[in-house]
Amino acid sequence: MKKDLEVAGYAVLPLQFPKTSSAKAATHYMYLRAHEPRIPDEDTPRSMFIVNVPIDTTETHLRHLFGTQLAAGRVERVHFESVPTKKNQAALPQANVGGGGSKAKKRKRVTADELESQLEEIALPAVWDRPLQKSGAHAVVVFVDQPSMEASLKAARKAARKAVSGSKKIVWGEGLDEDRVPALGLERYLFHSQARYPSRGELLRTVNDFMTVFEQVAESRKREAARKAQEPDEDGFVTVTSGPKLADATHEDEARELIEKQKKKQEGLDDFYRFQSREKRKERQHELLRKFDEDKKKLADLKRRKGKFAPE
Amino acid sequence: MSSHSFKRRRLSHSTHNAVPGAQIAEKNGSTMNLHLESPHESMPMKATQNSEVPAVSTKRQGTHNVTAELALASGVYKSSYFKLQMDELLSELRPNYDRHVAKLQGTLHQLKSIIEHIPEKPPQSAWEAEKELRSKHGITVPFPEPRPDRETKYPFTYAKPTNVNVVGSLSLQTGAKSSIPLMVDLAVTMPSAIFQEKDYINYRFFHKRAYYIATIAAGIKAAAGLDLHVKFALQDGDSLRPVILIEPITSTKSGNMSSKLRIRVITAIEETLFPVSRTIPLRNNIRQGAADSSISERATPVYNASLRSEATVALYHKYIHSNIRKCESFKDACILGRAWLQQRGFGSSYQSGGLGGFEWTALMSLLLEGGGPNGKPVLLKSYSSYQLFKATLQFLAGRDLTNPLALFIADLSFPGGSPVLYDGKRGLNILYKMTLWSYALLRREADVTVRMLNESRDDNFDKVFILKANEPLLRFDRLIELPALSSGSSLQDLQSQNMIHEVLVRALGDRAGLVYLRGCVTEPWPVDTRQNCKTAPGHLVVGLALDAENATRVVDHGPAAEHKDEAASFRSFWGEKAELRRFKDGSIRESLVWLDLATAPSIINQILSYILKRHFNYTDFDIKIVGDEFDETLRNNGDGVVSYSSPPFQKIHDAFNSLQRSVQDMDGVPLTTRHLAPADPLLRYTALRLKSAPNVPCGPVDIVLQFESSARWPDDLVAIQMTKLAFLVKIGDYLQSSGAAHACKTGLEDVSSRILNTAFLDITHSSNVLFRLRIHHDREQLLLERHLKDRDGHPSMRQELAYALSEYKRQFVQAPRLTQAIRTLCTRFPLLSPTIRLVKHWFSQHLLTGQIREETVELLVVRVFTQPYPWGTPSSIMTGFLRTLQLIARWDWQQEALIVDFGTLDKAAVEVIQTRFSAWRKIDPAMNTVSLFVASDLDPDGVTWTQYEQPSKVVAARMCTLAKASMAMLRDHGYGFDTTELFRTSLAPYDFIIKLRSKLLYEITTSPTTFNLADRREKLQASGHAVVQSFAHDLRACYSPNILFFHSEMNPGVIAGLWNPQAVRAKGWTLKMAYSTSLTKLEDAEDNDQVVINRPAILNEISRLGSFMIDSIELHGTDKNLT
Repeated sequence: MKKDLEVAGYAVLPLQFPKTSSAKAATHYMYLRAHEPRIPDEDTPRSMFIVNVPIDTTETHLRHLFGTQLAAGRVERVHFESVPTKKNQAALPQANVGGGGSKAKKRKRVTADELESQLEEIALPAVWDRPLQKSGAHAVVVFVDQPSMEASLKAARKAARKAVSGSKKIVWGEGLDEDRVPALGLERYLFHSQARYPSRGELLRTVNDFMTVFEQVAESRKREAARKAQEPDEDGFVTVTSGPKLADATHEDEARELIEKQKKKQEGLDDFYRFQSREKRKERQHELLRKFDEDKKKLADLKRRKGKFAPE
Repeated sequence: MSSHSFKRRRLSHSTHNAVPGAQIAEKNGSTMNLHLESPHESMPMKATQNSEVPAVSTKRQGTHNVTAELALASGVYKSSYFKLQMDELLSELRPNYDRHVAKLQGTLHQLKSIIEHIPEKPPQSAWEAEKELRSKHGITVPFPEPRPDRETKYPFTYAKPTNVNVVGSLSLQTGAKSSIPLMVDLAVTMPSAIFQEKDYINYRFFHKRAYYIATIAAGIKAAAGLDLHVKFALQDGDSLRPVILIEPITSTKSGNMSSKLRIRVITAIEETLFPVSRTIPLRNNIRQGAADSSISERATPVYNASLRSEATVALYHKYIHSNIRKCESFKDACILGRAWLQQRGFGSSYQSGGLGGFEWTALMSLLLEGGGPNGKPVLLKSYSSYQLFKATLQFLAGRDLTNPLALFIADLSFPGGSPVLYDGKRGLNILYKMTLWSYALLRREADVTVRMLNESRDDNFDKVFILKANEPLLRFDRLIELPALSSGSSLQDLQSQNMIHEVLVRALGDRAGLVYLRGCVTEPWPVDTRQNCKTAPGHLVVGLALDAENATRVVDHGPAAEHKDEAASFRSFWGEKAELRRFKDGSIRESLVWLDLATAPSIINQILSYILKRHFNYTDFDIKIVGDEFDETLRNNGDGVVSYSSPPFQKIHDAFNSLQRSVQDMDGVPLTTRHLAPADPLLRYTALRLKSAPNVPCGPVDIVLQFESSARWPDDLVAIQMTKLAFLVKIGDYLQSSGAAHACKTGLEDVSSRILNTAFLDITHSSNVLFRLRIHHDREQLLLERHLKDRDGHPSMRQELAYALSEYKRQFVQAPRLTQAIRTLCTRFPLLSPTIRLVKHWFSQHLLTGQIREETVELLVVRVFTQPYPWGTPSSIMTGFLRTLQLIARWDWQQEALIVDFGTLDKAAVEVIQTRFSAWRKIDPAMNTVSLFVASDLDPDGVTWTQYEQPSKVVAARMCTLAKASMAMLRDHGYGFDTTELFRTSLAPYDFIIKLRSKLLYEITTSPTTFNLADRREKLQASGHAVVQSFAHDLRACYSPNILFFHSEMNPGVIAGLWNPQAVRAKGWTLKMAYSTSLTKLEDAEDNDQVVINRPAILNEISRLGSFMIDSIELHGTDKNLT
């Protein structure tokens, strides 16, 4: 019997991409295994980790794959995540294109209370009808229970063996009702050109919702701070603070100005003593020498790069 | 200062024992040998005393190595770095005289003895002499036109030369290495006995000289054992003075001469043979057709000088030699001068301007003695080579020599019309070969160079000595090629060129700053034939430097009607084109009106073809004008707009101004407006396309609104975005209700991040211009910076913050600033706007626009305009465009920052920018996020427009390769090149091409289309271009950095892709692979974790993503087998 198709502990599941008008059929490879994150949570045992999902994958696709095509388990939900690369790609807000606002991590105060998480829930209207995944992206599929997950993994291995031997291939998205996922191509872009201009009412509603909660957050934070200021710490002291904190932006400017002023004061009597001017001269000379050495290096560098030093 | 001087002493001491000193002593020794052996030593070489040699050389070496600090302190050199580069250049350019002399000595001695042993010949008539040489020796005497005929009475004799000596740059060691072979001059002094007293008139001297040269040629040809080609050539392109050119036979390498050397046998006469008074410029010495006395009385300065220069060969040799000994840096200054002249296309011959290495050396020698105010010398012998060089250029730039300058002689008058620097001691105008136009060009170049040298900010060394400045297409705004009928006589050629020049200068007036003519060069010809000028039809090239302000003027005002004489001359000059017109101010003037239509050729073109036809009978077929094609290309591809002041640009501007007024007094919005700033190429005259499809408004035009500061803004980045959104809705409401805008729509962008600017307002202005307004809130920057300072942030969050900050600066700070600056520059340089737009077209044609921001392109062109050295500011689209390509081609972007001057760039700013550049290269040595670095005084950061792979390394390299290829094409084809070739791109280098259904995209642009959108039937309209862009954006988001996608607005049907070679290689499988992979081997699964990028599956995905938009995907190269 053939061994399972496997790479680095991941089961390999070949998926058949059907022929299209401009490209021929191709085989895509998805890699699966039981989810083993560094910090497990209660959902981990029933989760599957998938590597290299096709770019047009949606939750519906995966539900269909595991529920209908492999017929081994029901999917509860799916998390997508893109692969962080060495290059600065993560900085470009392109991961999860049009996912209707990814979960931007909040700054500072990790003690996010309910209000704040509520704030994150308030998202602007979606401008895309369906998200795309970055090529090679990962996904975590949470099944309804652990047996479903295990059965699905087994089914995938079996399907892979079948596919390799050529008897039966799993076709990506086959049998998926066309109405269940928005179409790609021109319709996607036409929808986008429309959806990026949400109605006035919708926008204002979002903004109002957001600002209301935002004010509530600010309010509660303030109260919290006031309360904290009153409470004695473990040694029994109450820290007395007066006035606003110096961290404020306006104060930053003021502090900077103060330092500048101080500096200016220290200047002034530079050429007073003889040793000062002597030192200065020496310094200037060193500076010149240093520059000369630098120039020499620059020239050597130039020569190395351009080879000959001759008119063109 | 004590430590300093100690240092210097030590340094100079060490060189005393160094090898170079010894080499120089040897060198001098060997050159000397050559001359000591000549029996008829009359040349000054004898004067080189043996004892002096080492002293001179060590002194030279000593000064050579003066530490740069001292040099800088005393202002001897421009800067220490300049000096270091100059030393390097000099050592590179100094020919190895030792080697040359060793190689040549044998040949020269052989030649010398051959020439001295040619038998004397009795007097013969011209006809007999010619016949004898032809039949006996197979030599055609190179008589200059008009050739002597049977009536010629004076006898032709050959007698043994008085002496034979090496003169010129080799023996003086003033030569410089260059691409053309080093010329060694062997001067043969003709005995006075063969000439008669009156031989200076009517070419008699030159005929006898030609016979003499022919006899020597016969002698050399007859001599056995010489492995050399003997040819005739013209000395300095002067048909009066043919010379013998001796070339090594290249096929056999056995010869003593290397292929890089040429020997030229020139003639000389005794200084006193003809009195100086006979050859002063004002004399007439051509008295043929004496019937017409007025013609015969005309001065013949060129003929006279040509004759006189024969007599001064030895004089100048001696003179220059004495100066070399007097002034130690003289030789080096000569090399600098030669290099400078050569880079600007100047040479000794008439055709290349008449100022070459010899003239430069003579000029410097004279300036050591005089030329300054009150007859004081311009140069001092204590000057460094750089000072000599610069002061000579300053003299050329400052003193207008068309107002003659005579040294060492008084009471001498000159015929006007050419520059004169008359050397009274030797009786020669050393600039006699210069024409008005070559002199004008020389002064222009000298002036630019002096300005370059005076500039303290840049070092400019590269532009003074290294860069080749005489590429005609980069130098002149228009080039005209005319068929020229070479008469075989350089005197006549000069005359006809003078006529053309005069007519063109008068016809163009202030439209052209310079009219430069260049004739064709006579190639050396074999000794057995006559110089044949008829077989190869020559051509005359005219280069024009235009005046950008005046070149496009439609109406020319001539003299007023009441000035009868002037009006008559105007009429006779212009013929039927001249019309009498009454002007608005009431004056009645002669005038010219040219066609100002988009379909007509440019006005310069019209003037040229009209006036050349009228005065010289050139038909349109004869005249070839280069330069208009670029204007044409822009007009065809830039919506018919060339000038920045044309109506479409104006319309957008007016719309902006009216919108600005409406926004200024907006009510119903809680904050007052501080500023509405333009931030779009359409508002700075640099957008290539101005019009869109008929029903679609033009735009969107980015604008930035800033409110007066207020404390009521929230202190949170996300909340700020929300607040902005609310403001935008309010502004939209107001503008729509007040009638300033047809329609307002609030749109969302960059929704994937909550801290980027997420909202904009699309305002369709009543004049059908679509503006896209964003709100600038300056607290954002502060908040972003503060969050960035927090050390405890997650790396990915910090990256997001950094990205947000750079986006903020780009959108709200730099874009408005750049718009303002370029707008101002466009009005100052009328050609900046069209040039930028044409360069954008080039980028677009080569599918680079999706990868390189247009602002980067604009900055490149601005640099060409504000830092134009070594030329002046471009005054045609052609020069602007081609110089930009040259800039890109020469830009070593990995090692150099591009620094653009907007008017306030100073040395300190340059240093700051350089530091930033090296810091970037240190942080990111692989250039993963920043490849190009383009800074300016407005933006010292330098990465605003190029960070985050705009463009990536690969694309930057491709841009340079394309520019280099264009420049190579220009070099190879000269002005005969095809402009369209520059803009044609090949799709072959890409791995695959996605072809889109352009028809479908066009349809959705022009008419609303009904689509089934999840059961909602809606009429939708979108611009096809926007759809392609969204598609390309999706592709990039999904596959970057493993596939590069290229597309452009000009080529909407095509998206080209390139696989990242890193990803195509097989690798061990890891979790971190950010691309779709496939196993290399499926069958034996044992230990096989090698994977490659899954190209078929990705192409299939792309095809699914595009679905019906894609017509086909074409595969190239290795991908072909994927189908």
